[in-house]
Amino acid sequence: MECVVQGIIETQHVEALEILLQGICGVHKQSLRIHELCLKSVSNLGLVASEIRLLCDLEQPEPTWTVRHVGGPMRGAGAEQISVLVKPMLESKVSKNALRLFYALGYKLDHEQLRVGFAFHFQRGAQITVTVSSINKMLKLHATDEAVPVTPGIQLVEVTAPASSENYTEVVASVSSFCEYLAPLLHLSKPGVSTGVVPTAAAAAASLMSDGGGTKL
Amino acid sequence: MPIKWVLHWQPNAGTTVNTQILAEVSQCVESINGVKGGRWKNTLSFYKPMLREQANALEFPRDFLGISLQEQPNKHYMVIRGQRLIVEAESSIQTIMEKLQSYKTRGALNFEGFQYQLGDFQLRVGKVISIHSENLRGIVMEMEYLPISSWETSHQIMGEFFDIWQEALGKRSLPGHFAHIEPNFSEYGLSDQYTSQHTAVQYASIVAQMIATAQSSQPVRN
Repeated sequence: MECVVQGIIETQHVEALEILLQGICGVHKQSLRIHELCLKSVSNLGLVASEIRLLCDLEQPEPTWTVRHVGGPMRGAGAEQISVLVKPMLESKVSKNALRLFYALGYKLDHEQLRVGFAFHFQRGAQITVTVSSINKMLKLHATDEAVPVTPGIQLVEVTAPASSENYTEVVASVSSFCEYLAPLLHLSKPGVSTGVVPTAAAAAASLMSDGGGTKL
Repeated sequence: MPIKWVLHWQPNAGTTVNTQILAEVSQCVESINGVKGGRWKNTLSFYKPMLREQANALEFPRDFLGISLQEQPNKHYMVIRGQRLIVEAESSIQTIMEKLQSYKTRGALNFEGFQYQLGDFQLRVGKVISIHSENLRGIVMEMEYLPISSWETSHQIMGEFFDIWQEALGKRSLPGHFAHIEPNFSEYGLSDQYTSQHTAVQYASIVAQMIATAQSSQPVRN
């Protein structure tokens, strides 16, 4: 399982966010460059339609591939009340020819994108990952070198943490409380529940940039 | 990693494999001073597409295999032999395949037995059984040579050892022999340096051969 919240930030404030994250987490950022391919089963295959994601990490000297399967999010009154999305998620690292395998099995490319940005990985009540990235689309098939931003001037911020059915309430609490630190710069919510940019972002960013993140907001 | 050949028992025409042959093969390894060691086990599953309509079933591979090897307990190998395709994945891929509900495993074979040390060679003799019934489907033997990891370089010594082994076993006049299939690894994109992917490809090849043999020896039904 995985806990997720998302938000957006204007590219001009990303540097301030980076300073803030660096201050909170105490670890260095890692560059992020991921080619993401979303595949869907052809109509006759499977009792239900299925979807699988192939992620190619282009930051590594030799690109590495991961297969990711995301299940339907948790439902019910309990899930409604929490501000974090909890969904089943499984990953498996695979050899580089996995795309050929899924094509052979009857999966077709639905869409692909390139995420470029950075990530922070740290322990704070849970193993939290914050990624700040711009989503790019490819004008030609797999042409990651010629990708263009889908939303110029806006970047996606995603906070994720692995969880299990036993501990997800604690993980949700850790993610929620972490999100509060970022509140002056951006608002984080369940994916699909867009809340836009926050009005205090410019002022908060200016304050962070002037003192290098040394002061608590 | 060390090179290995995966051999399978090829029964003579009109005969089938039985536990007596397996016992004789094991005794033969011990008679040439093989020192019995621990147990080993590999598993091979047959994945079949789950289709809403059977009409265009031919669009999907019928020879999609999943292989788990004891030598790589955290990995799972997926092979489509007809397309000369092998993919190495972490074991969690098996759960992902279940969640997708597009392919499901219909039947699986276990390869299991004992391993023997013989100088620089490691031999693993095993029975091939269906996981749903204990019926013996075949006999398999892994012949591993520890000092060499290049397929080409090892070819001569492996060939010589194979001949010695065949000669030793020949004295027992068993109704069949061990056969060695040499897949064209480069067609699978595999290099000369031996890896577990080579092992998985060999298992896929011997299973295809065992199925072909079993089908051709079945009595013709009216």
